[in-house]
Amino acid sequence: MLEFRTAGFNPYSVKYSPFFDSRLAVGAGANFGLVGNGRLFILNLTANGIVCEKFFETQDCLFDLTWSEQHENQLLTAGGDGSIKLFDIGVGEFPVAGWQEHGREVFSVHWNLVNKGTFLSSSWDGTVKIWTPEKKESLMTLPVHSCVYSAQFSPHHPEIVTCVSRDSHLRVYDLRTKPSAQNHMTLAIPIHAPPKISTPGFGQTSVGPTECLTHDWNKYRDSVVATAGVDGVIRTFDMRMPSGPVNVLPGHEYAVRKISWSPHLSDVLLSASYDMTCRVWTDGSNVDQGGNGSGLGREMGRMDRHTEFAMGVDWCLFGAEGWCSTCAWDERVLVWDVREFMRTN
Amino acid sequence: MSAQNRMSQVSGHMSATGKAGLTEKRPDDIVVTTALRTAITKGGKGGFKDTPAADLLHGAFTGLIQRSGIDPSFVEDIAVGCVLAPGGGATEYRAAALAAGFPESTAVKSLNRQCSSGLSACVDIANAIRSGMIEIGVGAGVESMSTQYGPGAVTEFSELLENHETAAECKVPMGMLSEQMAKDRNVARKDQDKFAAESYRKAGEAQKQGLFDQEIMPMKVKWTDPKTDEEKEITVARDDGVREVTEESLGKIKPAFAKNGSIHAGNASQISDGAAAVLLMKRSTAERLGQKIMGKYVAASVVGVPPLLMGIGPWKAIPVALEKAGVSKDDVDIYEINEAFASQCLWCANELGLPLEKINPKGGAIAFGHPLGCTGARQVSTLLYELKRTNKQIGVTSMCVGTGMGMAAVWVAE
Repeated sequence: MLEFRTAGFNPYSVKYSPFFDSRLAVGAGANFGLVGNGRLFILNLTANGIVCEKFFETQDCLFDLTWSEQHENQLLTAGGDGSIKLFDIGVGEFPVAGWQEHGREVFSVHWNLVNKGTFLSSSWDGTVKIWTPEKKESLMTLPVHSCVYSAQFSPHHPEIVTCVSRDSHLRVYDLRTKPSAQNHMTLAIPIHAPPKISTPGFGQTSVGPTECLTHDWNKYRDSVVATAGVDGVIRTFDMRMPSGPVNVLPGHEYAVRKISWSPHLSDVLLSASYDMTCRVWTDGSNVDQGGNGSGLGREMGRMDRHTEFAMGVDWCLFGAEGWCSTCAWDERVLVWDVREFMRTN
Repeated sequence: MSAQNRMSQVSGHMSATGKAGLTEKRPDDIVVTTALRTAITKGGKGGFKDTPAADLLHGAFTGLIQRSGIDPSFVEDIAVGCVLAPGGGATEYRAAALAAGFPESTAVKSLNRQCSSGLSACVDIANAIRSGMIEIGVGAGVESMSTQYGPGAVTEFSELLENHETAAECKVPMGMLSEQMAKDRNVARKDQDKFAAESYRKAGEAQKQGLFDQEIMPMKVKWTDPKTDEEKEITVARDDGVREVTEESLGKIKPAFAKNGSIHAGNASQISDGAAAVLLMKRSTAERLGQKIMGKYVAASVVGVPPLLMGIGPWKAIPVALEKAGVSKDDVDIYEINEAFASQCLWCANELGLPLEKINPKGGAIAFGHPLGCTGARQVSTLLYELKRTNKQIGVTSMCVGTGMGMAAVWVAE
């Protein structure tokens, strides 16, 4: 396990570069992101451990970041002051571009993985905005009317956008539809709805709606999305039958802050929680691995070396299939191999 | 400010409820900027015994215009809940609005969903604002049981209805069916009397401390002294049904509906007169007009139950409203559940597992009366002022509805 200290800053997000297997970026804020400056760390994995290649200072906490899919040296940040900034590692100490439309904290940014010319942002102001680096103004604003913690483009389709929000809904937008009263929204799935198939060990009575903090598209199954939030439960949804969750993965004792599907295995995901653990899960869908379709997901392992709220997780896209990075409010970024933490059973 | 917001957001993540989403402030929230009522007085002998319903409503309307400071021409529609008025009161309520200072451009309608009429009126206006039909409206309720209570309020049932079992049950008087329900559901007379005595105690204390003065609009009315037959002008500013009782004194009252029954005049709602009005608009409108926001309307539910079990209405309606609002019953700080009868209110509370200290903290219809159409609108002011006073946020108003229905609404004080 490799470790890097973000002394004086509490990380919110960590992301591997899609271009280099040894490059990481971390978005962080002073004073737990409540008040004070932010800092963007560019880290390199070297023979001598993790080395900070460069950092950028910002006026407010950085709640999220995403690497550009167009340019290997560029990345975007989500600012507490409502700003989105594009940094270039090769260019000075200031951002090379910036966008300011959101009225409140920006909580997520995501680069379009298919049409690499657009990106999106989501904010506490209750909107998701679609942008292109070439324009100063947003291309489109999708009103959600509730604090949007996480928004993503589908990795399978350039015009499909999803988001999760404080009001416990997973919304799906199809940007190809005509603008209408629905503002491109095609689905609004209640996350707290009862699962289609009851899960052993998970009470039948849901606690009702709670804030949903994170979601991620499965990289292989193009209709599957996982969500998680304040009730500590990870759920998977299949867009082909959107009325309720397909699979429910309870276990975290407090809110789940971030989840990420493996880029290598279609049934595996990683989570980071306020309970300070990062856990590896299978949703049970991989029949070759002993899964049996829906309803039989389970926790496969956990890493509990973080000593404060775990906030960010990301998988390495390159090399062997278990390497990942996590960050937490303990001012640490850890790089580790999930296979070392798998339970054998 | 922003640091505080972020801190409360993180702390919100530590408890698994939908509360954070509910208390969020959005420009398209439907907010209450003024909620008030007249005093509620005893039917047949109280301060409003000689005041027609339309005049009571006029009092609530003038109070609303005066307290809110709103330009009356901005109000596009008024819905008035009432139960007993012939013709629904539609004609005289439009006249009352004009007399109170609303211009011809302000529309008025009356509606009747029995005891939930006042709430139906508020919800109706809130929905009209939400859908964009109007921008500003008033939900109100009124009842003069002194002048309009009696057999004339229900039309004779046809043969067709009489021959249908459930349909015919709609006609069974409230008292009779509640007596049967109390028996079937095992609500003991002692528990009913205890609940009723608490209602009197809470209302009495609130009255002594002047807590109702915030919501009551005093009214000058003509009143005939029954002893001397002399007509005088009096100012009515207090609920006159509130009196000193104890569980023991209530225990001595004879049952009203059955010899060995448990329901009597002391543990059922009083027959009363009164009016209430609530000014509603979008948050963005309120901010533009500089209106002070008391709280917001979130969601409402209406459900049906068997006519003979009308008292269980709140038990069925409250969970539906909470589900729509996205909160659990524990997130709610105060429940205003109409005390039609101590038996049904207590049964609903127990069945839902609600702690009694959260229910009607300033007393209810047992202590100060239940002017049928007014109650639903009256609960809004009682709830919002009490939430504010105790620095709490989330409240529910609910009531059972004659012929077998229940209604509930979720409100957030600010």
